[in-house]
Amino acid sequence: MDKLLQALLNGLLLGGFYGVMVLGFSIIWGVMGVINLAHGEFLMMGAYMAWALFRAFGLDPFASLVIVMPVMFIVGYLLQRLILNRVIERPHLMALLVTFGISISIANIYKVVYTASPRNVPVSYNGSVELFGLTFPIVKTLVFFVALSMMFILHLFLQRTRLGKSIRAAAQNKNAARIVGIEIDRVYAITAGICIALTGAAGAMLSPTQAIFPFMGAPFTLKAFTITALGGLGRIPGALLGGIILGMTEVLVATFVPGIGTNLGVAVSFVLLVVMLIVRPQGLLSGLRPMEEVE
Amino acid sequence: MKRLLPLLVLLVALLLTACPSPSTEESATSREESTQTEQQSGAESSSEVKVIRLGAAVSETGKYAREGKDTRQGYETWRKWVNEEYGGIKVGNERYKVEIIYYDDEGDPDTAARLVEKLITEDKVDFLLGPYSSSLTKSTSAIAEKYNKIMIEGNGASESLFERGFKNLFAVLTPAGNYTQSGLKLLADQGAKTMVLAYEDTAFPTSVAEGAQRWAQEYGIEVLAVETYPKDVADVSGIMSKFKDLNPDIFVGGGHFNDALLFVRSAKEINFTPKAMLITVGPSNPEFVAEVGADAEYILGPTQWERTMSWKGPWFGTAEEYAQRYEKLWGEPPTYQAAESTATALALHVAIENAGSLETDAVRQALLDLDIMTFYGPINFDETGKNIAKPMGTIQIQDGKIVVVAPEEAAVAEIRYPMPPWNER
Repeated sequence: MDKLLQALLNGLLLGGFYGVMVLGFSIIWGVMGVINLAHGEFLMMGAYMAWALFRAFGLDPFASLVIVMPVMFIVGYLLQRLILNRVIERPHLMALLVTFGISISIANIYKVVYTASPRNVPVSYNGSVELFGLTFPIVKTLVFFVALSMMFILHLFLQRTRLGKSIRAAAQNKNAARIVGIEIDRVYAITAGICIALTGAAGAMLSPTQAIFPFMGAPFTLKAFTITALGGLGRIPGALLGGIILGMTEVLVATFVPGIGTNLGVAVSFVLLVVMLIVRPQGLLSGLRPMEEVE
Repeated sequence: MKRLLPLLVLLVALLLTACPSPSTEESATSREESTQTEQQSGAESSSEVKVIRLGAAVSETGKYAREGKDTRQGYETWRKWVNEEYGGIKVGNERYKVEIIYYDDEGDPDTAARLVEKLITEDKVDFLLGPYSSSLTKSTSAIAEKYNKIMIEGNGASESLFERGFKNLFAVLTPAGNYTQSGLKLLADQGAKTMVLAYEDTAFPTSVAEGAQRWAQEYGIEVLAVETYPKDVADVSGIMSKFKDLNPDIFVGGGHFNDALLFVRSAKEINFTPKAMLITVGPSNPEFVAEVGADAEYILGPTQWERTMSWKGPWFGTAEEYAQRYEKLWGEPPTYQAAESTATALALHVAIENAGSLETDAVRQALLDLDIMTFYGPINFDETGKNIAKPMGTIQIQDGKIVVVAPEEAAVAEIRYPMPPWNER
């Protein structure tokens, strides 16, 4: 029983991270209809930034969010202004090719700059605490709560502020939004900025728990894809739900299947993806807009 | 949804083929350099300067980018030495300069095999040097065998490589099955009784793990659980929490550098403290200590070579002298992957000189007859191409330093055992 509870807890914590990790990918797709294949690379950029700040100034990876997020916001804003806005009205393939190219460029530039050696941020508090008979890994628990608060803040922003409303308007009907005077290019650029900032933050929070290296991104892009399909497009609760389902599945299979559990966990998540696409292609929670209308 | 379906297919296809960069040729610089040295030595001797052309597919990008870089630098250390100091390989009465053509195999066995085929058929190399990792060596050596080219390698330790009856594959390093031998013996002597084992399900870690189970049985250690995980694993906490419940004396983890980081992080996170952690690749690399910090203390790891070992040969002097030369060239201390790559090229070099010929058959016979002592240790191939002369060392990280604790004849410090719980450090 304890083992089951512990596994559920680990899955939940992993799921919270997945939720914030996938959010940027999901919203860019939901709002603009762009599948960002460079998603994992932006995550990697955030992780490296946290690592560099830690190495240079001894800055804690959670404290470095204050620097990582604004920098990544600018990266995202410029990316959208300079590159993505030019291809967004073109056929989907263009955006795919552009982001694919960006992912290759970023990974290889990082390889040249930082070399391929795996990095890690050895924070002093990466142990665990025992509570109610369960083991709480400190860093992952922190990540979980920071992730939740980020989602909550973003949710408030999208629901309550004028800018947030115009982002939702642009997602629901681009032409109507234009007619009522929303400056689409600017809204898109801000959306991309927020999404890339979130992705960078996820990377920075990942840095104490994992090896950081230039080619770490691709598996995350694939995972983001699975979670988005599970949870529904461009929705915060969907991202969280999808993330938790994937996290729990992976951890439960890894914990209870002897010998090949960890292998199987990865396979199962993709089986889930296929089943989901067949049974409920719009995701568990219906998206920011129905998938059929995504242009 | 209909419109998205082709996109999904494309997306998956793109991601699956998401190879970071097209293969690049780095031989331009080496060619340039060799022409320069050719001109210099051309003035000294009247004989025409000839070139031996070697080829290697080594990872520059992908999962093995780090180890691939060490491998490349190891080969280059030898090439620079042989061309600039040694004066070229002596074949009969002639001196041959060396040129090495490199391609980036991207860590992918199929790409590596294709590139090696290209090296043989288009670049017409005389001999092949191995890639990094057993899985890449496996695919490329099959191509070498098909074209009857000698491939000598120092980075594929999996024993299955030498069970295929190939005539043209030689390896200077200790085979994978013996990686954990000296470490497990030492731990058994310290009183360890039980062990758990986790390994990546690719050629080399599998060989290490099978060897570890064999040696465990030999030394009376009970294996409580065995777990495998996939190549690009991002989370091993499932494995570690299973192991925690078993409360073993020894944890053995077999994989590559990234996995070593994950194992240590994950063990500390869930407070899993076996009496010893023996991790296959990583601990012996100085960057491991730099990245993991204080948590790297007490971790054990096998090592093919350390600069403190007492080996000495007529070519690069002692292990320490080799290390200094390497540091001067590359600005970083040599990993054992780098040393074994230099030793690989050196073994080929000596065999060519002994054979007095560049013919495949003559050089193969010379390799089989080879029995030399080098900075890397003794090299003596058995009929399958494995180096049976060299023992494997075990290191432990003590006070941030990598020290050899086994086997006895190479040890410079006592093992610290058992390792204290994470929260009591």
